[in-house]
Order: sequence, then structure tokens, then C-alpha cells
Amino acid sequence: MTGTTSVLGQRFVRRDGPEKVTGEARYTADLAFTGLLHAKFVYAGRAHARIVAIDTTEAARMPGVHAVLTQADAPLVRYGMFVKDRTLFAHEVVRFEAEIVAAVAADTPERAAAAAAAVRVEYEDLPAVLDVDAALSPAAPVLHPDWLDYRTQDGVLRAPNDCGHMTSVKGDVDAGFAEAELQLTETYCSDMAHAVPIEPHAVVAQWQGEKVTIWTTSQVPFPARAGVAETLQIPQSNVRIVVPHLGGGFGGKCDFHFEAHVALLARATRRPVRLVFSRREEFLATDKVRHAARIELTTGVKRDGTITARRARLLLDSGAYCGDALFATEIGLMMVAGPYRVPNLYAEVHTVYTNRTPAGSVRAPGGPQTCWAVEQHTDELARLVGLDPLEFRRRNLVRAGDTGQTGQRFVSSSAQRCLDRAAELAGWPGTDLAEGEALGVAVGWWFSLSVPSGAYLKLNPDGTGTIITGAQENGSGSVMGLALLAAEELGMRPEAFSILYQDTDAGPFDIGSAGSQTTFNNGRAVMEAAREVREKLLALAAERLEIHQRDLELVDGSVRVKGAPTRSIPLAEIAAGAQLIGSGSGTPPPLPEHDLTGCGGRLGYSAFAAPSFFCHIARVRVDRETGVVSVPEVVAVHEFGRVLNPLGAQGQVEGGVIQSVGMALLEGSQYDGGHQLNPGLLGYKLVTAPDAPTVTVDFLDDAVDQGGPHGAKAVGEPPVVGTPAAIGNAIAAATGTRVRALPMNAERVWTALHRPSAGAVTAGGEA
Amino acid sequence: MSRYFAPGNAAEAAELLRTTPGARVVAGGTDLVVAARGGKHPLPEVLVALHRVPELARVRETEAGIILGALTTHTWVERSGLVRSRWSALADAAAMIGSPATRSTGTIGGNLMNASPAMDLGSPLLVLDATVELRRTGGTRALTVAELLAGPGRTTAAPDELLSSVRIPAPVPGTGSAYIRLEHRRAMEIAIVGAAAALRFDSRGEIVAARLALTAAAPVCLRVPAAEAGLLGRRLDAEALAAAGRAAVAAVRPISDVRASADYRRAMTAVVVARALTLAARRAAAGSSVPGPDHPPTATGSVQ
Ligand SMILES: Cc1cc2nc3c(=O)[nH]c(=O)nc-3n(C[C@H](O)[C@H](O)[C@H](O)COP(=O)(O)OP(=O)(O)OC[C@H]3O[C@@H](n4cnc5c(N)ncnc54)[C@H](O)[C@@H]3O)c2cc1C
Repeated sequence: MTGTTSVLGQRFVRRDGPEKVTGEARYTADLAFTGLLHAKFVYAGRAHARIVAIDTTEAARMPGVHAVLTQADAPLVRYGMFVKDRTLFAHEVVRFEAEIVAAVAADTPERAAAAAAAVRVEYEDLPAVLDVDAALSPAAPVLHPDWLDYRTQDGVLRAPNDCGHMTSVKGDVDAGFAEAELQLTETYCSDMAHAVPIEPHAVVAQWQGEKVTIWTTSQVPFPARAGVAETLQIPQSNVRIVVPHLGGGFGGKCDFHFEAHVALLARATRRPVRLVFSRREEFLATDKVRHAARIELTTGVKRDGTITARRARLLLDSGAYCGDALFATEIGLMMVAGPYRVPNLYAEVHTVYTNRTPAGSVRAPGGPQTCWAVEQHTDELARLVGLDPLEFRRRNLVRAGDTGQTGQRFVSSSAQRCLDRAAELAGWPGTDLAEGEALGVAVGWWFSLSVPSGAYLKLNPDGTGTIITGAQENGSGSVMGLALLAAEELGMRPEAFSILYQDTDAGPFDIGSAGSQTTFNNGRAVMEAAREVREKLLALAAERLEIHQRDLELVDGSVRVKGAPTRSIPLAEIAAGAQLIGSGSGTPPPLPEHDLTGCGGRLGYSAFAAPSFFCHIARVRVDRETGVVSVPEVVAVHEFGRVLNPLGAQGQVEGGVIQSVGMALLEGSQYDGGHQLNPGLLGYKLVTAPDAPTVTVDFLDDAVDQGGPHGAKAVGEPPVVGTPAAIGNAIAAATGTRVRALPMNAERVWTALHRPSAGAVTAGGEA
Repeated sequence: MSRYFAPGNAAEAAELLRTTPGARVVAGGTDLVVAARGGKHPLPEVLVALHRVPELARVRETEAGIILGALTTHTWVERSGLVRSRWSALADAAAMIGSPATRSTGTIGGNLMNASPAMDLGSPLLVLDATVELRRTGGTRALTVAELLAGPGRTTAAPDELLSSVRIPAPVPGTGSAYIRLEHRRAMEIAIVGAAAALRFDSRGEIVAARLALTAAAPVCLRVPAAEAGLLGRRLDAEALAAAGRAAVAAVRPISDVRASADYRRAMTAVVVARALTLAARRAAAGSSVPGPDHPPTATGSVQ
């Protein structure tokens, strides 16, 4: 640290805030272009079928129509992050209702829609597979008959209708169960849920010569660029991706997808072309939903509550394609032991193809569902041995020195500390509870993603600075917060920095706003770039002041002599006469040592770098007659290493908790065969402001060496992981019955209370 | 291409409806435009907008009751001290519709004429014995709300008829009314089921007048005469509530959809009926009304 007062841990108002709240911020769909055409996709409208014929002649002849394209107009390239199982447009077969069969560009959105409706497609329907269990049966139709020919990332293990399976093995599970005095088997199921950013997907593409610029609502500009280059078979240097302000993503805008379709339309018409999704398309076609999951858990315990063994099986509904789903697969797998000492474990997870909307990385992929199931199970285990849920957890939670499910050794006991602090804040087991109210607790852990990133930093002649970064700002404020880290290195104010971001021709490679990684990795890159500038500044100043560098410090926008504050030079004076440019990439910390003996199919999330811990306690109120649940309060205690920007971290926790109240109680897609029944905000309900709980947030500091900047850990995703679990346990405590399906909507709560025989399977008792 | 008219008086509006085939009225547009954008119904060929017709926005209070112009907004109803004290069930309903923006834009005429089985004003107007005035070139006619509502999205009004006003008679002193809807979140919600009740008691605490109507439980909002008759001459005890609930459940024809199963809706019918009757009775006893706007709108009227 350089300055006398640190800017870290101080209240910091993000720079993009005012323009967003005043409506001046420009988003992708707001951009104006001369000669703009409008894109519209033609969707399959059926779950599974062979394409017999596509006739675009009538559509192409309609007024104002400039292009109608199908897979015949695109290179036949199969792409996919883990498994190359899909083409831009449907190739011979459609595998879910919103598979793109054709794309139209026309001079108005209405004409584009009319032409899209006029594309004639003849189909021969194929039997649809709509259920994960059915998909894994040997008799099931194979949804990708050529699956063996698909290329995959190294290490992916597959089977027919299973695009990625993995195992996690520790100790001797049979011996562990033999040691158990009691055991419990339960199954939990969660519905498909959506990211639902306010801003729908939008893409504009415009060519000049061989180069295309694409403005898009992507959370991952560099992977999007790679996807366009791969599918259109052009060099990455011919593709520039620019993301204007992004109106939220929540993972739903991860991965590459629609950019190439729009680029193709723009190339065919030599005009700029814009695609803007309707809310209905947001639900059906973005193919980036939170996996529906079926989670089977069997745990053996001793009568004193010690867990001796666990078996777990997770089935994730991947929908028609694999996408970026195998993140969710492995992270879900890493949640099955929870932050508990489970000495003997056998867990397997399958990523199952069905004829539904493809799933992928929605905020904390694989997290909330698995944490919910594991934490309901934990409360049931506590009940089985007659312990208070808190006491049962205390006896089993990991502490420093314990090993995780793949043998990684924990260096902190903050799982315990979070529990104790949350219990204190919530007044466990509950004080002043009203009629129908109860508390429920959930604990969990999450990872920090350690990957390469990069940034440049320069000082301007007036003494301000500019950060040029490859990182992407999805709304969480993490890119805005980079100014804090630069300011800290250079003794400047964070407000003195402008930031050029989310333009692939400007900043160095970054994987995008995914995996809560921006501050963790790009922050380190920015600090390294700032240090290079600092070295240059100090060298120049030392020369001018004729003093040794080590006697200088950077404070309040100037270089000054330590102990002689009057002997100083403003940064502007130095910057006006010299090039002060730095670059940085940081050094990603390695994964902790761990042991994968006996494990299969693992892809890199086999241990957690700089793991963080949390405990959420929810207070719920249940109306027993109707099953309606409200959540007056959630206490959320997180250990994020070191909190750099308290206002930003608090916002992430409050928002995450409120978002996951929706996941807990309201949000879920319903299906009729291969068709979503509620693809809109009328039938798919998010929480509204009046439903939002009071969120009591507290942070426990535990800065780590192998962490991000100044010992920080990942912040963006963990806040959504624990709340559904805490709410579920509170509902069970309030009603004396458990809802084993997510969302735990009013009808399900009511059914559990009044029609208990309709509930899901559970078996517990003597081992 | 749609054509659009914004007439300055009701006669002109009625004449446009008579002479222009395919013409439809638009008031706040919160049903019509939203349905068009959602792909449910295309926008009508010809739109006759009513917002420049001041006579349709007029509210008249008389000895006999109140006459609300068709353009009266939910916000007006929700904020009116008079409506809250005399026609509490209607104020309950108006206060829960959509969001503040929906309530300031949506109108009572639009709510009725859209004829959704889940419309929140339907059951309150049924238990308050409201009538509507339909106007066409050359004359007007009055219908009860029950006569107006024909089925989901259907009314008995002719295509050239305009709903000009809603007339609600003054309640007999001592009457209490309430509307309860089952909702799964606290704003921007559609009734899963709802019930409106109006009750009056004699000095011995026995019911001398009873009205009960249900929302979202059948193709139209409907009264439940069997439940009403069963309440007369009794105190509103647990048994009476249960009997009214049973009669209501016998009268409903709920559907299963994304919001709820028919089984759940049937069970919930008895719950909202009991709660609406209980609140109406409490108001009848206290001579009290819906609390003012400083109270959260869903606190009294909804089940949450
Ligand atoms: C976000 C949102 C939330 C909502 N929440 C609720 C809710 O909680 N409860 C509820 O009941 N409704 C709700 N609605 C529906 C709607 O707002 C109400 O029904 C509203 O009262 C409709 O009035 P309007 O003036 O907007 O009708 P419009 O959309 O203008 O018209 C609706 C229909 O009535 C016809 N019409 C309108 N006025 C007349 C007239 N004077 N004469 C003849 N025909 C006429 C129109 O032709 C059209 O067919 C909601 C709507 C939205 C968008």
C-alpha cells in the first residue's frame, strides 16, 4: 500500500451508477445505426423432430425482406464449450422447442416477424425425451445419435444421453456405512429456473470489409468472439465484440450464441442488423437456464450426530445441448458434502440430454439446488439423532486442518464462525416469533475461480488515469471497483480513473463475468499494471527531486518525499511530460493440493481455490391454510476473505438473497410435454419489492494468502446459494412437514400439509 | 395497420363504434395493449380511445349511491374515503390491482369489459348490487354485473355499446363488506381465487342480509345464492363459515393452469370465503372501513 489513507474498505459509489439511474446509459438495443435491418428467428415450435424440408421462397419474396438464412447458408461447424454438439441453425434435427431453424432480416421488426412466420418447414416428429430418468434408461431414444463423433474438451466422460458424468470418491463408503448407527435416504427435485435479467438479449452486427463489429449483451466478450470466429470460420482478429452497458446477466448471458447468426445476416445483406429478444424468447430461446435437478442423498450417522458416510446421485437436466453446463455439473458435485466432514463419500453426477431448453451457467450454477437438498437433508439428519440443527452442524462443520471431499486441506474455520455469528444476529432459535413463524438455517461454501486475466493502465496528462481492461461489467460493479485497486497502488482517488472495458479490440483476454472472478483475477492484473506505472513514476520523480526512490511516496495525486510533504510533484506534472503506461496479467494462484484417486470425469473444479463460507438464517411465516409463505427476514453472514468495497459487497448479498427468495418460493418453469407453459413474467413469478425480506448482512474478515487482491475472495455468486435452503428448513420448522420440491410454492407447501401422502420419497431409521 | 380515433364526447365515441366495423374501445390499455403485445389477441383494426371523454371520468354521489364513470381509475377508487367506508369490498379490490402504475392507468370500465374470470372488481361489484350503464347511439340500458358477464373474455354488450358508468347503491346502514384474494406474492398478482362478501346483522348478532361472490373459480365471477341463503338467520360462527365454504366449493368450476391446480383452487375457495365473511362481519360490527392509504394495501384485503 502506498498512500497514507487506504481507499479500500471505504464507501465507494460506482461510476456508472448515475447514468444508469437517470436513464442516460445506452444499452445494446438503444444504439442507432443508418440502414438498420431487424432480425427475427424461426423456431422449431416442437420438442424433437426430423426436418424434412425448409422452404424460404415465400418469406424471401415478402416486402422489406433482405435475407432468409438457414444452416445451408452457414459453415457446418459443430461448436460447444465442453462438447461440440450443436450447430448455429438446426441441422437435420430439432431437439427443443426454440431450436433456431432460420433467421430473417427485414427493414422493420413487423416485416421480419411476418416473414419468419412465412418460412415453411416440414417436420417428421420424433419421440421426445422429457425426463432425466427416462433419458438414462437403455430403451430411451438417443437424442444425439452421432454423439461418439462429437469432439469434446479433454477429460469429459460421456454416455448416450449423458453429456458429462463425474464422480467424487473419498475414503471407503461401505465401511463408513457399516460404522453408521442410523441412516437416512431422501430425494429432492428442483424445477428449471431462469436468470431473468431486466435487459433481454440484443445483438447488432455490422461489417466493414472483412471485419465485423458486434455489439452484444454478452457477459463473456472474448468467448463470444471465439465462438463467432469458430462458427463463421474467420480469424478472431476480424471480429470485434463490444458490450455497451449490460442490463444484468445472472449467467444467462454467458457463453457464445446469437452473435454469429446476426453477423451472418449482416454479411448477407451488407447492412447493420439488430436482434432484440422478446420476453417470451428470453424464456424459451436463450438456452441458459438453471438446471432442473434430481438429487438423491443417503447419509450414515452415529447417534451422537457424527456423519460417517454419504452416497449421492445428482441428475441434472441439461436440455437439448451441453452448452457450458459442465461447470454446473462439477460445482454441483462439489456441494454434495457441503462444508462438512464427510470421511467416506461416493457421489456421482450426470448431465442428461432431454428435449428441453438447454441449461447452463445461471448465477452459482449447480449451487442453490444442491445446497438446498443437502441442507434439508442435514436438518432431517439432526432430527433423526435428536439434535438442534445448529448443534448438529457444529459437530460436523469443517475447521482449519480438515480435508474436503477431494482431500483439499482447509486453512480456515470460518464455516463455524459464520454459523455462530448468524445465530447470534438471528437470535437462534428465535425470539419474538409470531404465529406461524420459524427460523431455518443453511451453511455452505463456494470457490474463487483462479484464471488468467489482463489489463492496461495509463496516466493522462492532467494526472487522471485510464484503465483498459478485458473484464466485463455485468452490473455487479466489479469492473467499476477496479478503480479502487488502481487508486490504492498510485495514491490517487478512485474517481480519478476512467475505465475502458468490454471491447475485445481494446483490453487483454479475460473469460468474462462468470464464476465471480472479475475482482479476483482482473483485480490482480490491474494492480500489476498500476505497479508498473508506479515504478516509472517514482523513477522519474527521483530524478527530478534528486532523491532515492525509496524515500518517495505516492499520496493524494502527487509524489512526495517521505517526512517532507512540501517537497512534492503533482502526478499531472510528470504525466504531462512522459508516457506512463503499464500492463499486467497477475499470477493466478494454483488450486490447493488435493487427491482425485477414484474420481472420474473431473474438469478442473476438483478443489476450491480460496474457498469462502457462509451461513444464512431465514425467518419465514407460513399461512397453514393456504400454504403461502412470506420471508420477513434473512440474516446472511459471509466470509469473503477481505471485503474491498463494502457497499458493493453488501449490494451483492442483498440482491442475491432477494433473488433467491424467488427461487425458493416462486420461480420454476412448468412444462407440457416439450413446451414451457409459463414463458413470461405473468406465469413465471419473480419476487417484487413488497415481497423482499429485510436482509441483515455481516462480513467476517479472513484474508487469505492464496486469494485475490489484498486477500479477497469471490463475492458475486455465493449470496444466492444458501437462502433457498434456509427458507426450506424454516418452512419445515414452521409446519412440521418438509417440501421436497423447489420452488416450495404455496400449493406444494399446502399439499405437504394437507395431502401428505402426495409427498416425495424418504426413508430413515436404523442402519 | 390500425386506425386510431380519440373522440371528445361519448356520443361521438358511440357513433364511431356503430359506423366503423372492427372498432374497439381502448381506455387505459392495460389489458388490451398488453394482450396484443403478448400475442394473445392482435390489436383491433380500429381503436376508439376514450381518454378525451371527460363525461366518462365523472363521479357522481347521490343519496341513492354512487355513479362511477367508466374511466374511473383504480387509484381513485382505492383513495376515495367514501368508497372505503361504504363500499369497502370495492376499495379492497382496487387497492390490490397490479402496481401503482397499473392502478393509475387501468379503469373500472376496462376491468369489467375485459371480462377476465380473475378480474378483481367483479365479485365486489356483485355483492354490492352494482349495475352498469351501456350506451349506444340512440339509447342506454342498465344491466346488473351478473347480466353483463357472459364468459371468459365475453360480455353481453353489443359491439357498438360503450360501458358508460357503474352505479352502486348506498348500502343499508350496518352493512360490512370485504374482498379477499389468494395471492402468492404481494404485488403484481392475479387472483388464484378470490371472494367478496357483504353482511348485515340484527341486534342479536344474526345475519339478516348476506351476499357472497367468487373470483377466478368459474368462467365468470359469480354469486353463490346457496351460501347466502344458508347464512341468513345465523351467527357467523365456525359452523356457519364452514357451511358457506362448502356451498361455495359446490358452486365453483375451477380450472388447472400454471398458477394452481383445480384441486387447490377448490380447497382455497373455502378459505377465502371464510376470510371474506369474517372481515365483512368485523367491519359490519365496527361500522368501520378499509384503513387509509398509509396502510399497505394488501394488509387487510389479501390473505397475506
Ligand atoms: C401489470 C398488470 C397488472 C394487473 N393486475 C391486475 C389485477 O391485479 N387485477 C385485475 O383485475 N386486473 C389486473 N390487470 C388488468 C387490467 O389492468 C385491469 O383489468 C384494468 O382495469 C383494465 O382497464 P383498462 O382501462 O386498462 O382497459 P383496456 O385495456 O383499455 O380495455 C380492456 C377491454 O375493455 C374494453 N373497454 C375498455 N373500456 C371500455 C368501455 N368504457 N366500454 C366498452 N369497452 C371498454 C376494451 O375494448 C378492451 O376489450 C393488470 C394489468 C397489468 C398490465
